[in-house]
Amino acid sequence: MSDILKQVNAIFTDVLDNEAIVLTNETTAGDIDEWDSLSHIQLVVTIEKHFKIRFTSKEIQSWNNVGEMVNSIAGKIQG
Amino acid sequence: MVFNSIPFAVFFAGFFVLYWFVFKQNLKLQNLLILIGSYAFYCWWDWRFLALLIGSSLLNYYLGIFIAKSTIAKQRRLLLIAGMLQGIGGLLFFKYYNFFIGSFAELFSIFNVRLDVRTLQLILPLGISFYTFRTLSYLLDIDKGKIKPTTDWVVFFSYVAFFPSLFSGPIDRAKLLIPQLEKKRAFEYAGMTDALRQILWGLFKKIVVADNCTAITNQVFDNYLQLPASALVLGALFYCIQLYADFSGYSDMAIGFARLLGFDITKNFNYPFFAQNIADFWRRWHMSLTSWVTDYVFTPLSISFRDYGKVGLFFAILFNMVIVGLWHGANWTYVLFGVLHGCYFIPMIIKGTMNKRVKKTKATLIPSFTEFRNMAATFLLIMLTNILFRADSITHAVDYYKHIVSRSIFSNPLVIEKTNTVIFLGFGFFMFFIEWIGRDQEYGIAAIGIKWPRIFRWSFYSFIIFLMAMFMSTSGSAFLYFKF
Repeated sequence: MSDILKQVNAIFTDVLDNEAIVLTNETTAGDIDEWDSLSHIQLVVTIEKHFKIRFTSKEIQSWNNVGEMVNSIAGKIQG
Repeated sequence: MVFNSIPFAVFFAGFFVLYWFVFKQNLKLQNLLILIGSYAFYCWWDWRFLALLIGSSLLNYYLGIFIAKSTIAKQRRLLLIAGMLQGIGGLLFFKYYNFFIGSFAELFSIFNVRLDVRTLQLILPLGISFYTFRTLSYLLDIDKGKIKPTTDWVVFFSYVAFFPSLFSGPIDRAKLLIPQLEKKRAFEYAGMTDALRQILWGLFKKIVVADNCTAITNQVFDNYLQLPASALVLGALFYCIQLYADFSGYSDMAIGFARLLGFDITKNFNYPFFAQNIADFWRRWHMSLTSWVTDYVFTPLSISFRDYGKVGLFFAILFNMVIVGLWHGANWTYVLFGVLHGCYFIPMIIKGTMNKRVKKTKATLIPSFTEFRNMAATFLLIMLTNILFRADSITHAVDYYKHIVSRSIFSNPLVIEKTNTVIFLGFGFFMFFIEWIGRDQEYGIAAIGIKWPRIFRWSFYSFIIFLMAMFMSTSGSAFLYFKF
């Protein structure tokens, strides 16, 4: 598990209040019960604060799975 | 030609034979049959707007292809805007033109400014709210890269006009329905019998529960000035039962007929009156509409408002609920319905429990005290706003509310059609009881009797059919959601 994915995993377990969550790059909202449109916004806000980055609205809506989200984070941190 | 009519039974039987036994080997012909059947179904109701349906399909078909091909961001955006203008513009014109013009003139009249506005004699094209939402989501999903456009025009036109869900949904997404139109469907006996069971249950909800409740609700809402408060509460209760039985009954039939053709379409109801709170209710009621509005209205808004914390979330929800309300029609009652539902979310937003999913409890026969209390409280909130949903105008609704707040709330509510009221209420409770038992299943009677010996299982189905034969309403009213 990459370092970013590990940190994102920790945010997911905290925000969604579910210790059992184990993310992979292929994980989608359909795989986690608590991950819906509302919690998604909370996840995004927490991730932005944690990594001190800012996503555009289009970026957020373009992600199809956790891997794409992690790639966006990596792109912002390195950029 | 509603689902619960002889002409539809004849139409569908003929369609079924052609579909499975004549054109089975040829997917293209099968899809063409769906398209022709869908247009025939549409014309049976009203042929005048068929050209609008075809024109809208044609435009969106090419826009989808061009958006996907376009590599220039500006061009892509223009194409998307063209599609949005056509879809939203059509809806605004046919559904909301008179409403906005009239409201605008009224607003100015408050300041003693008389505007000479002209309203138009417009007829609402049937199904426009449903098929427009299909085409809008199709283009938006292509733009976001979530789906690829289909290059088979028969598939796309059939997706837009798919007759089981053309007039009242479910609002299927392209991602779900188009791949099913593109591949061969299999005739499976077990799936067919299950589909028939779902149709049977939908039919029961519509013709026994909903149609019989209509007689009571109409009388109460039309004569509310002469009735005691307790009868008005009973009328509101009847309307909740009617609305649910009508629309979920229709949805069960639509899903059942689609399954008979080998399609799995979107689930529309998940026992909403067993919801534990208001957020839970909206995850279960008219799910294909709420998920649509969530994806294309709420999500972009809440992303934009995310810096404003709970206030931002509230405004995103409020706007979302007003859109849900207004989608039902051009009336201030629907706007207020949306505003109130938006406000219902405030305690959950403050407590931060919005995204806490209701934990699944054991499927016991008797609900726990907490479950029952939560269900009853949620139901009361819904019942209160459903008065607005049913009322002809805000004045009508406010008057109705005023008459409820009276000492006659403690009087006997059975003042009209006493025997029928009790019987019809019994049907409502029977429906809820069956659905409570089957609440973990796709539809109310999916699992009832499955493990019983055949004779008992068939006795149960026969009992449902017997109830339909004995108590079906002869009013033959159209489905409530056709007008939306």
